[in-house]
Amino acid sequence: MVAAPPAPKKPVSKPAHHEPSAVTPATPTAEGVISVRGLDFHYGTKQALFDVNLEIPARKVTALIGPSGCGKSTLLRCFNRINDRIAGAHISKGQVVIKGKNIYDDDVDTTQLRRQVGMVFQKYNPFPKSIYENVVYALRIAGVKKKPVLDEACEHALKVAALWDETKDRLKANAFGLSGGQMQRLCIARAVAVRPDVLLMDEPCSALDPIATLKVEELITQLTKEFTVVIVTHNMQQARRVADLTAFMFMGQLIEFADTTTIFGAPQQKKTEEYIRGIFS
Amino acid sequence: MPNEPKASSDPGASDLIKPPRFMGLRIDRQQVIRAFFSVSAAVTIVTLFLIMWTLVTEGPFRLQKKLGFLPVPTLKGGFLDTYRWELGVYRKAGLEFCDHVKKPLTEHETIFSRLKRAVGAELNTVSKVSRDRRDAAILAKTHVEERAALQREALQEALDKTGPATPPEKIEELRKAVREATARKVAAEVLPPLFTDAEKQKLQEDLRGLQPDQEDFPPFIQELMAESAKQDGLAREKFAAFVTAVDEFEVAADPIIEVHDAMKELALATKELAVQQHMSEDAVAQLLAAAAIAKTPEEKAAFEKDAAQTDTTAIDFKGRIEPLLAKRADYEKLIPAYLATVKKVMADMPSKPLTGEARTLLAKARKDLPEHIKTVEASLHHMSGWKWDKPIPLMQSLSAFLFGGDWITNSSWQDFYGMVPLLTGSLVISLTALLIALPFSIAAAIYVNQFATLREQEIIKPLIEFIQAIPSVVLGFIGISVVGDLIKSTSDVAWLQWIPGFPVAERLNMFNAGCLLALMAIPTMFSLAEDAINNVPRAFSEASEALGATKIQTVFKVIVPAATSGILAAMLLGLGRIIGETMVVLLVAGNRIAIPDFSDGIGTVFQPAHTLTGIIAQELGEVSRGSPHWQALFMVGIVLFAISLFINWASRLVVRKFQLPKI
Ligand SMILES: Nc1ncnc2c1ncn2[C@@H]1O[C@H](COP(=O)(O)OP(=O)(O)OP(=O)(O)O)[C@@H](O)[C@H]1O
Ligand SMILES: [Mg+2]
Repeated sequence: MVAAPPAPKKPVSKPAHHEPSAVTPATPTAEGVISVRGLDFHYGTKQALFDVNLEIPARKVTALIGPSGCGKSTLLRCFNRINDRIAGAHISKGQVVIKGKNIYDDDVDTTQLRRQVGMVFQKYNPFPKSIYENVVYALRIAGVKKKPVLDEACEHALKVAALWDETKDRLKANAFGLSGGQMQRLCIARAVAVRPDVLLMDEPCSALDPIATLKVEELITQLTKEFTVVIVTHNMQQARRVADLTAFMFMGQLIEFADTTTIFGAPQQKKTEEYIRGIFS
Repeated sequence: MPNEPKASSDPGASDLIKPPRFMGLRIDRQQVIRAFFSVSAAVTIVTLFLIMWTLVTEGPFRLQKKLGFLPVPTLKGGFLDTYRWELGVYRKAGLEFCDHVKKPLTEHETIFSRLKRAVGAELNTVSKVSRDRRDAAILAKTHVEERAALQREALQEALDKTGPATPPEKIEELRKAVREATARKVAAEVLPPLFTDAEKQKLQEDLRGLQPDQEDFPPFIQELMAESAKQDGLAREKFAAFVTAVDEFEVAADPIIEVHDAMKELALATKELAVQQHMSEDAVAQLLAAAAIAKTPEEKAAFEKDAAQTDTTAIDFKGRIEPLLAKRADYEKLIPAYLATVKKVMADMPSKPLTGEARTLLAKARKDLPEHIKTVEASLHHMSGWKWDKPIPLMQSLSAFLFGGDWITNSSWQDFYGMVPLLTGSLVISLTALLIALPFSIAAAIYVNQFATLREQEIIKPLIEFIQAIPSVVLGFIGISVVGDLIKSTSDVAWLQWIPGFPVAERLNMFNAGCLLALMAIPTMFSLAEDAINNVPRAFSEASEALGATKIQTVFKVIVPAATSGILAAMLLGLGRIIGETMVVLLVAGNRIAIPDFSDGIGTVFQPAHTLTGIIAQELGEVSRGSPHWQALFMVGIVLFAISLFINWASRLVVRKFQLPKI
């Protein structure tokens, strides 16, 4: 907890970031990069999402918050169709439109979709390969063979993930030799190496210690230069620190979606307020 | 439970009192249970130790009682010692000397049989057609005769009858019957397309006229026979030089064989004596031992008398070897003439053989003959350098076992216990099996774990595991009756002849055994590989798919590499299962004790072989306990044991080396 004090300092840069969104309407209704329209989602017979509507704007950090089991991860995992892996999981109503295309249409190529919508998981999960091979994995499977291209992409991705200085001398070393925070940043590098439009992050800091958390948070705010970031978090401080917009979910429903300052300063819904004041959680 | 009432009467302290004792003894239950498990483990370890002890004391060592009761293993009387004695007699009696002559003779035999086949192939180019025509005609005749056998026999009987001879009209009647029957059969007989239509008619004419009392062949068949003989003569004329050279080559060895036989006789007689003397010595030792523990002085005296009477005079090896050594001069005298014939064959072999068969055979002969000349010359050297009294160190009997190329038992000449042919057989079969089983089991594991629907999994898994339930004897049956025929008939298919080793000569061979062993190993390897793949964390495949990898890419780039250690362990444990398997190889491998001829390359697997396991199963029941042969089989057992231990050790090592680091 020695690391805690500097934490509030960092978000000082945040208001600067936040200014443009203050200009846009408090409840973003304009067409976003990702628009969720009336989405109902089921795990087998169990319904996990109820009529979710959401417009996620480009080049912003959008946070999903809510009590455990409310469907944050489920919603996030709908954005790259990784839920398809789960037998019985399906949507029964609604659409998820990314770049003007409903990604649940039958003619959608999930491979291509996932190249445009990258994902970082809660528990860092690098492959048992070298750092270099981890980063260029997505390029390799996309068929890129030229060494200079791979090298360039690797360097860029590691720089984006703020990991380049720490690893540039040991690219051939096994990724498992890194620390937890480094591994999570490696996973971020791995996801951004193919330059996706959107980066999904499901509690990316929950397995990290405070210092590593801080580094990753800092990184996330930087990522908006290139990417649209959607992050699920349990930590409301974190949402405040990194998110431009925050969506509050409860029991599979989207209760409120607005500017982070609005959500935490003047929530419109009673449930949101209760949650933020710590009635549940 | 005597403590129970006390505990309830004193509720405050009851929690702290030790649990009730076990059956009144001063030990608690935990300890009893612990003791039970530790004893079980100890029993297992002791059993393992006893097995090793048995292998060792029946093989290289023999137990000797020290201080009257303490069994101590000693090398004396163990395999190495007895085998050394046998090899010693082999040398001192001069058998080894004879084998120097034997070696060129064996080579001569193989080379000659090749040359003979080459000659046959060459002659066929001229004489085959006419011979085939002759043979086809004779075959047709035999067929017709066989089918009209009933009528023919009746007629023959009537003709043979003397008492009152059969009346001519009766004979005429029978003849008519024969004629009719024969004509019917001739009409039914299909003649091969070797004949023109006119010839076919002639032949049918001939056949219709067949009568049982006809001595000579009918005219057309006679014509064919004459033609065939003529063509044969022409063929021999055409290849006269080659034919005579080969004929001369055959007889050239005869005088050498004669000398060799004479030498063998001398050597065997000495060996016989040596064995006899050895047995007498044993007998004396036993008599003296009996005398030492005899109860009455009379008995003792009787034993000692018997011992004294037994003839144990040492054999005069030196004196007996002299006449044998003298034979070297005879042998040497024959060599120049023999080598001249060999060179003549080399010169007279047709340089451009007409047939493919002859070409390959002669190519081999051309390679072998210069080697043969060298062997012959070397044999003279060996014989002059040979010493009957050169001692055989103990290590030499070990190396003769480990690196010896002959496993010859129950021979009238000399027994050899060299395990190389068995080891190579076992290894080639195991590797074949492994190479077959590996792709199948791993592919099946990948499919079942990654691609199959739940329903498919439920069907496939138990089915594959069910293979394990098939008794190996039953698999042996299948190998003999199905797989063998399948291999044979496939290997005869014309457009598959590019496969090395095709067409195969033996239905029972290493490949056949390898196929069945692969089948036996697949369940083990499949289950272990499937487990290994299943144990790859889901996070890996999830990450891979989230990066846009297809299922196949995920499997081959992430899951299989991550499961390497488990897959390798599966492979090694499968190998352990394969190498120790006995029944199938005994039934199916062909049981030819010889080092496979690796010049066939991959085709080597189609040769028959014997194995380490098979030889034990086959021979152990028939040898007398404690004989060198018995001990040799235990030595083989030790080798097998060592191989299994090695495989186990290697699989542990592999698992550790390829294990994923923990995060
Ligand atoms: N694979 C699954 N099969 C069936 N039900 C599931 C599955 N995954 C999640 N659920 C259910 O769906 C609901 C939403 O789960 P989800 O994981 O989205 O919650 P969450 O908001 O991410 O919670 P947490 O903060 O604990 O991660 C929960 O009730 C959960 O039990
Ligand atoms: Mg979650």
